[in-house]
Amino acid sequence: MTGGQVLLGVAALGVFLLAIGRGGVPAGRRALRDTGESIARVLPVMLVAIPMAAFLSQLIPPQLAAAWLGPESGMTGVLVASAVGGFIPGGPFVSFPLVLTFIKAGAGAPQMVALITAWAILGIHRVLTWELPVLGPRFVAIRLISGAALPVLAGAAAQVLLPWFPHALPVVGR
Amino acid sequence: MPGFLRRHATLLILSAVALIAAALVWTTQGPAAVNAALGKAWPLLLMVLPAMLAGLLLAGSLKQLIPPGALAQWMGAESGWRGLIVAALAGMATPGGPMATFPIVLVLARAGADRGAVVCYIVSWALNGLQRILVWEVPLLGADFALLRLLCGLPLGVLAGMIARRVPIAWTRPESPLAAPRR
Repeated sequence: MTGGQVLLGVAALGVFLLAIGRGGVPAGRRALRDTGESIARVLPVMLVAIPMAAFLSQLIPPQLAAAWLGPESGMTGVLVASAVGGFIPGGPFVSFPLVLTFIKAGAGAPQMVALITAWAILGIHRVLTWELPVLGPRFVAIRLISGAALPVLAGAAAQVLLPWFPHALPVVGR
Repeated sequence: MPGFLRRHATLLILSAVALIAAALVWTTQGPAAVNAALGKAWPLLLMVLPAMLAGLLLAGSLKQLIPPGALAQWMGAESGWRGLIVAALAGMATPGGPMATFPIVLVLARAGADRGAVVCYIVSWALNGLQRILVWEVPLLGADFALLRLLCGLPLGVLAGMIARRVPIAWTRPESPLAAPRR
């Protein structure tokens, strides 16, 4: 149990009790039913996704990550990461274990910031399965145009801020 | 059958990728490597599971407290900066994955949020969602990295919203329940 998890658990219980206080037992029951439905949807995905990430990371040659996305790769690496990030499929259960693999293999922090930003904003998998059916192609075009340059911006910002975060990559040897 | 496929598309795609990846690991590195990968997956799962349960309870309870439509009145086309900042904060506070978020996006858009606010909300949720940072990013990548990444990501939602208001593509917001996604 990490501090973040404890915090999240406390917050969840607090908001749950608040919902009961505000809306009575029916609100609590609705919240629980909602939670149950979400678990039924998310849990199977997670049970498949985590082994998948493990297999994928087994397949990625570490030298490749270090060469293309290492701290020395600079803005070129940020650009590569911005392009690659959009094609990482799935939710955080895929991307974050993958980023951990890259970091262990020698990737740099600004490059990983760009990668995560690109995955989050441009992730093609989410766009196709959710955004397109819900909001339509015109909206998707507007949003992708608005977001296209942001991963590079985030990577550049991280490059500038990095001196203030000497422990941003503490995983070597973990 | 198409309905079944669509509803479980994520699961099916992930399963296929997992099987292919496992087969590749098996053929290129042998069965021991498959076992090693599974051995790494198990503790990760145990670490993530409690956080996931808490996060989903948070999402389910929050929805009872704040009807998303109530926020939309601050996110109209005339809302300027303030609307974008409300949208950014709401996006960051929205817990849960896309199956929970995009129905909320639809509610916001129908209730009067403009394209800038909707884009800002989606980007802020996807990039800076607090639940995801606490559940995934901090435990896996460390607090220092997570903070650096968040600092770089914070302004981007509002920035995307400002750009979206200037993109010359016509878009009419979704009206009555059309093509509402299955929750």
